[in-house]
Amino acid sequence: MRVTKFFNRNRMLIVLFGIVVLIALIGFSLTDRDATTKAEQFTGDTVAATQQAAGAPFGFIGNIFSNITGSFSALEENRKLKQQLDMLPQLQADNERLAAENEKLRKSLEVSSSMAYETVNARVISRAPDQWLESFTIDKGEKDGIKEGMAVSTSEGLIGIVTRVNGGSSFIEMISTNASQNNMSVEVRHDDEAVYGNIRNYDTEKDVLVVENIQSKVKLEEGDEVYTSGLTGAFPEGIVIGKVVEVENDEYGLSQNAYVQMNSDLNDVDNVFVLKRDPESLED
Amino acid sequence: MQMIVIFIIGIILMYTDMAFATFSPMTVFGVEVYFVPKLLLMYILLLTIYAGPRISMFFAILFGVMLDIYIGSLYGIHIFGFIAFVVFMQTAFRVFYRDFVAMAFVVLLNSFLFDFYQYAVYSVLDFISMPVFDYVALRAIPSVLVSALFFVILYVLAIQTAKVRKELRRIN
Repeated sequence: MRVTKFFNRNRMLIVLFGIVVLIALIGFSLTDRDATTKAEQFTGDTVAATQQAAGAPFGFIGNIFSNITGSFSALEENRKLKQQLDMLPQLQADNERLAAENEKLRKSLEVSSSMAYETVNARVISRAPDQWLESFTIDKGEKDGIKEGMAVSTSEGLIGIVTRVNGGSSFIEMISTNASQNNMSVEVRHDDEAVYGNIRNYDTEKDVLVVENIQSKVKLEEGDEVYTSGLTGAFPEGIVIGKVVEVENDEYGLSQNAYVQMNSDLNDVDNVFVLKRDPESLED
Repeated sequence: MQMIVIFIIGIILMYTDMAFATFSPMTVFGVEVYFVPKLLLMYILLLTIYAGPRISMFFAILFGVMLDIYIGSLYGIHIFGFIAFVVFMQTAFRVFYRDFVAMAFVVLLNSFLFDFYQYAVYSVLDFISMPVFDYVALRAIPSVLVSALFFVILYVLAIQTAKVRKELRRIN
C-alpha cells in the first residue's frame, strides 16, 4: 500500500527519472558491441523457445491450409506441365547451351574462391511486432557458430546483419533500416570495372538503398550490379545486394550517388543463410 | 493463479502481435498499408482498471523487458513506454467516466499514442523516415481499426482474468 502511495505522490518525478534512464539505455544500445551478455542471451533464448513451441500448432494448421489450396491449383499446374512437355525438344537445345554457360560460370567461381564462406541455414522465428525497424529473429545461435556482425542473406541477396547472438537464436537487423548499416562499404560493378561506395541510408519512399561516395571515373548505369566489398567487418566479398536503378551526381559534383534496388523481398523472409566468412581471410 | 493466467494470455497476445508482422505491410491499390495492433499493450492497460495498477505495472515491466531484449534494437523503448502508459491510463481514468465507450476510447487512443511515441523516438534518431501524413493515413488509422476489432475480445479477457482473483479469494 505504501508503495502505491509513494508512487502516486512522486509520479512526475518517476516519469522524469524514467526518461533519463531511457536516454541512457538508447545511448547504450547505439554503441557498437561485439558481444552479447549472458542475461540477454538467457532472456532471448527463453522467449525464442516458447515462441517456437507456441508457433508449432499454427504452423501445422497453416500447412494443412496450404496443402488444400495447393490441391486446387493442381489442375492448372497439370495443364502447364503438359504444355512444357510439348516444348521438350526446345528445352533439350537450351540445355546444351546452358551446360556450356555453366562450365564458364564454374570457372569464374574458382577464381572467386578467395571469397569463400560457409553458410548456415536458418529459419525465421519471428518478425518484430512494431514493424518499424523490420528486424527478425532466427533459430540458429552461438552453438551453430554464429557471431555478431555476420552477414545474413536470402537466396536472392544480402538482407541483414547479425546484431545479437543467443545460445540457440539470433537477432538480425535488416540493412534496409538505418539502424544497422553503419556506412557499410559496397562494390558496384559496371561492365568489368568495380568502384566502391558507402550505403548512406534506405529511402523508404522509393524502397531503395542510397549508395554515396562513388568515384566519378566510372560512369554507372541503370542495371549495374551491387555487391558487398569485403571491407566491412565479417562480411564476405561478392555477396549480391541488388541493382542500380538510378544514378545522380552528388551536390558538389565530386562523386556519384546510386539508388540501389535490393534483390531480396524485404516483406517475405522465411529462410535465410548466415554467411560465415573464412576466418583465414579475416586475419590479414 | 491469476498471475499465471495473465502471463499466459500476455504471451499469446505478444505472439499474435508478432503474427501480424508476417503478412503486414499489405499492398492495397499500390500503397503499402501497415497493420500494427498493440494487443499486449491494450491488455495491460485494461488490467490497470480491472485487476489493479500494481499487477499491470508488474506485467508492464516483465513484458517490457522481454520485448526489449527479444526484438529491441533500442533498449528501453518498450519498458519505458509500457510503464509510462500504465501511469497515463491511471491518470486518465480519474478524468474519464468508467463506462465502456470512454474506456474503449482511452485504450485505443493509448495504443495509437504508443505507436506514435515509437515513431517519434525512431524519427529523432533518424532510423526511419516516414512523412507524418503517410504515417497517419497508412499506419496509424489501419492499426487502430484492427485494434478496435480485437478490443472486444481483450475486454472480455481482461474481465475474466480479473474474476480469477475474486474466485480464489472466495475459496481462501
